[in-house]
Amino acid sequence: MRKPIVFTSEREMPPMAVSLADMGHNCTGSWRYMRPIYSEKIAPCKNACPLGNDIPRILSLVSEGRYEEAWRLFRQTSPLPGVCGRVCYHPCETKCNRKDFDEALSIASIERFVADACFDLEDKVSERPRRSEKIAIVGSGPAGLTCAYFLAKDGYAVTVFEAASQPGGMLRLGIPPYRLPREVLNREIELIARWGVEFRTNTKIGQDIDIEKLWEQYDALFIATGAHRSRALNIPGEELALTGLEFLKAVNAGQTVHIGKRVLIIGGGNTAMDCARTALRLGAQPIVVYRRTREEMPAIAEEIEEAEHEGTQFEFLAAPTAIYQRDGTLEVHCIRMQLGEPDASGRRRPIPIPGSDFVMRADSVLKAVGEEPELSFLSERLETSEGIVLERAQGLLERAGIFVGGDAQTGPSTVAQAMRSGRETAFAIMRFLRGERKPKAPQLDEALRVNFSYFAHKPRVATPQLPVAERISSFAETKRALSADQARVEAQRCFSCGVCNNCDNCWVFCPDAAITRIDSTYQVNYDFCKGCGICAEECPRSVISLVEEEL
Amino acid sequence: MTPTLTGTKKVVTGNHAVSYGVMLARAQVISAYPITPQTQIVELLSEMCATGALRAKFIKVESEHSAMAALIGAASAGARTFTATSAHGLALMHEMLHWAAGARLPIVMANVNRAMGPPWSVWTDQNDSLSQRDTGWMQVYCESNQEVLDSVIQAYRVAERVFMPAMLVLDAFVLSHTAEQIEIPDQSLVDEYLPPYRPIYKLDPNDPRSFGALAPPDVYMELRYKMHQAMEDALDEWARADEEFSELFGRRYGLIEPYRADDAKILLVTSGTVTSTAREVIDELRAEGRRVGLLKIRVFRPFPAQLVREALRNAEKAAVIDRNISFGMGGIFAQEIKSALYNSSECPPIFGFVAGLGGRDITPKAIREIIDYTESHDEPQDLIWVGVKR
Amino acid sequence: MRNFTLPSEELMGSGHLGCQGCGAALAMRYALKAAGDNTIVVIPACCWTIIAGPFPYTSLKVPVLHTAFETAAVAASGVRAALDIQGDTETTVLAWAGDGGTFDIGLQSLSGAAERNENILYICYDNEAYMNTGIQRSGATPYLAWTTTTPEKTPKTEPKKDIMAIMVAHGIPYAATATVAYPDDFIRKVQKAKSIYGTKFLHVLAPCPPGWKAPSEWTIKLSRLAVHTRVFPLYEVEHGERYILNEPKEATTLPVSEYLKLQGRFSHLTEREREAIQELIEKRWQKLLRMVRESS
Repeated sequence: MRKPIVFTSEREMPPMAVSLADMGHNCTGSWRYMRPIYSEKIAPCKNACPLGNDIPRILSLVSEGRYEEAWRLFRQTSPLPGVCGRVCYHPCETKCNRKDFDEALSIASIERFVADACFDLEDKVSERPRRSEKIAIVGSGPAGLTCAYFLAKDGYAVTVFEAASQPGGMLRLGIPPYRLPREVLNREIELIARWGVEFRTNTKIGQDIDIEKLWEQYDALFIATGAHRSRALNIPGEELALTGLEFLKAVNAGQTVHIGKRVLIIGGGNTAMDCARTALRLGAQPIVVYRRTREEMPAIAEEIEEAEHEGTQFEFLAAPTAIYQRDGTLEVHCIRMQLGEPDASGRRRPIPIPGSDFVMRADSVLKAVGEEPELSFLSERLETSEGIVLERAQGLLERAGIFVGGDAQTGPSTVAQAMRSGRETAFAIMRFLRGERKPKAPQLDEALRVNFSYFAHKPRVATPQLPVAERISSFAETKRALSADQARVEAQRCFSCGVCNNCDNCWVFCPDAAITRIDSTYQVNYDFCKGCGICAEECPRSVISLVEEEL
Repeated sequence: MTPTLTGTKKVVTGNHAVSYGVMLARAQVISAYPITPQTQIVELLSEMCATGALRAKFIKVESEHSAMAALIGAASAGARTFTATSAHGLALMHEMLHWAAGARLPIVMANVNRAMGPPWSVWTDQNDSLSQRDTGWMQVYCESNQEVLDSVIQAYRVAERVFMPAMLVLDAFVLSHTAEQIEIPDQSLVDEYLPPYRPIYKLDPNDPRSFGALAPPDVYMELRYKMHQAMEDALDEWARADEEFSELFGRRYGLIEPYRADDAKILLVTSGTVTSTAREVIDELRAEGRRVGLLKIRVFRPFPAQLVREALRNAEKAAVIDRNISFGMGGIFAQEIKSALYNSSECPPIFGFVAGLGGRDITPKAIREIIDYTESHDEPQDLIWVGVKR
Repeated sequence: MRNFTLPSEELMGSGHLGCQGCGAALAMRYALKAAGDNTIVVIPACCWTIIAGPFPYTSLKVPVLHTAFETAAVAASGVRAALDIQGDTETTVLAWAGDGGTFDIGLQSLSGAAERNENILYICYDNEAYMNTGIQRSGATPYLAWTTTTPEKTPKTEPKKDIMAIMVAHGIPYAATATVAYPDDFIRKVQKAKSIYGTKFLHVLAPCPPGWKAPSEWTIKLSRLAVHTRVFPLYEVEHGERYILNEPKEATTLPVSEYLKLQGRFSHLTEREREAIQELIEKRWQKLLRMVRESS
């Protein structure tokens, strides 16, 4: 900033109008009423990820072929990238800004690629601190495993109690191997065990071990027993139907299950889809009976598509009213439904159409209308109500050092949500043991505005799939991994929303030369910035915000 | 024609006298557009550039307006510049005349006086140059081809010292196309008299400055004040330039030239070639014993008011011949002289005569009638038309 | 991961008097980055008369000659001649004029300079009206646009003058279009022009937020859309004959309404009028393609 030139006499002036100084005295910043500020934002993918995986950074590493770094970055927020890369419903992709440009990034496939590519890598367990407190975790599903991982990494002695013969919970019992090969699950559990986590299998809470005892023996307790109790249909003849979960558990455990040819599956959730696809693989012809339409099905779209693709039939707007056994087959009486006003879930309520009864025949019926937690093992001293309404925030439980999480707390949800719960509980337990309060997490704005002009259209790399004929004849994994080239090319499609990558646009497009570029950072010179807003508008990834100037 | 003669005598037209003057002044950038009766000036200059007699860039522009604009660019970048025009060409340049002066660029041009149309005329009168009176250009009205050449050289000298542009004015055909024997000065002497142009500021990437930017009211007037001061200084510079010129070349012209004026009761005031005719008439009248004299105005801008006052102090009457007309008022030289005298205690009556518009001859007889009229009338008149058929 | 390769040298200083989001200011910034500090700029009456700053200041770090409205090309010719005669043939002489000073009042002297093939670089920053005097129509104002002298009830009934065709007809060694949304293309063209002897002409579309009645932050967006909608195709013409199309990499052709709808100066248009504009754009585009085909 310079002082203006003031002539007090014509003798001080040159003979003609020749310049004597630049315009540095003219602080055009005073014209401004909007102020551009650099403020990195959280990418919608990362924001949508229940685990908060740092997806933009991970994709950036993958795009440069730095897979190990990418894997280690995954493991900072998640112990199960191999699992999530396969079974996560990837809300990250749903929120990906790129979907409005061409197609969302194939984030899940890349996660799976990274996990597969780094299958033989191990965590640096030698860097683990040592702590004396002991923690018991009941249940080794995604919530229990994740909680164990973060606690063990921080040096706590963790023991996981599992009713089944192998750890994994619903990952092993509920999810069929064509979606999640067991060697992947085994490997990631093995890496958790390497942190010193002890797994006690074939140990069922309330049966083989008493909760009161655990409470005495351990400094903290995490109940992550999941939601295994199937909901009832409440219709006559219900006992003639097998529950979907029982069916899946049996098949996944390698038992022979006779379901016949024609199998009706009641329900429209993920369990129903797994039942249908598993039934297909057993040589059956599954028909999914759902009381609303396809749009309202709670199963993730991709699963519905795969089920249909593989040959599942659907009977929408139909609900069973009774099941009868006749002549060695089952007779399922149904009624037609129509959709009414939206209910509490936001979906349109199914209403029976009077007189629309009809009958479907089947060799077997699988009911998969939802599961709920089973917490009867809790002693009377422990407060509980309605099974799933237990909340850590309900003082008594938390203070007692007993935490409930995962599906056991929320009812059936997703793997990623369960893992998030497990991780949050791990940190809650640490705070409990250290007498700390929960810190306030800084709120970052989401990077929602991407300037598409700076990106070229590039199609999403398709995830390779097994041909349908091969798929339904075995339990082999249906999806195949991306090649390294495919993963890299796909990762390069990432916009890096909310993260400055020094593209220079702000510096380039400033009509007032009021942005300076120092090494890899930019600074607005507010003495001269007129607040035109071009920098914010042209920032490809929403790093610059315009805020109202205080007058 | 190979124009290499210097320091020699040569018979040339007024137009070519201009060209020789420009060559000797070593103009560096010339830009012009053809117009009768100026065209010969730039034709010869083109040839001089082509042969290398003059090392200059000649930009053959598409209009007089552009000719001046080109010179403004060139002079701003430090070059000595020249153009020539006439009448409508000069009128078209008008905007750029202001620009050149306001930019304080010592551009020199020759204007061959030609009457303005319509109706079309190619013959002489002064309305074209006098219409540019207030543009900030110095104006020098020449009487002879030698004076034309010498004035070109003097004009550069003065212009480059006061940083104001200068216009040489010569009558169409009477001078422009009439050959006279003149002396072409020696180049080395001209070089001694006229050193290379040294601007205070110029367009220079090593000293980047802007020229001619917007000037707010708090500074504009001072810049105009300085232009006027420069014009005042130019009066002295012309006198000095003329003095030093005479030392080197033996010729001088003065800003004004009184002729047989010492004891004159009636003083005739002229400019341009009429002066030569008037000299003859004065000589005749003197021979007849009449006390008449002549005052030639050479430098019209800056107006040598003090010199004019002194020259007219002892006259009983003055008769001003104007080859121009400011419609609704009268001859412009007469107005200027009256203005110069008005605040003076010795202020003879001024008779204003308008004569010779559009190239009509101003004959010795007409001049004699002007003097007779002045002598025989007591009351001065602002505007007396000479020779109009009524 | 820089999107552009702009020279870092900054020859246009801050504090200039361009409006918020001024496309002309940005254009100057690019032009000088490309031309370098050994450049003399000649500016006739135009927005830049004001933007450059009043006496005794200047916002440019190169010499500037302000000159009369119609004289950019010829004053630049004069500067060129003066430099040449003084032995400097290296310095770039850049005539920098608006659309009024190029399409209209300055066309004569520009034509003269082009005909003489003066060794100058002439850049017309076109904001499509007399913006400095308050948005009056010029020969560069687009068909059916509003200006203060073509009010909404009687918008401009004539299409924009094809200045490139006029300049190309002079057979000058280089003529090109550029706009502020494509800095690399802009810089390349200025540098290419600089390397060529003779008259070089650049027609630069420079959005004017106040004059186009658009928010200041949309300057680049509008500039980009002008290219994407083919309102302002990017191309070069060498020696009046060889046409080269410079389609930006990411370009997808959009209907002209995408461009028009963002600007208040077109807000009065009816659907039929928008179609008429689209037809005009298409006609000019087909003509350009023909020229490209015929010259390749």
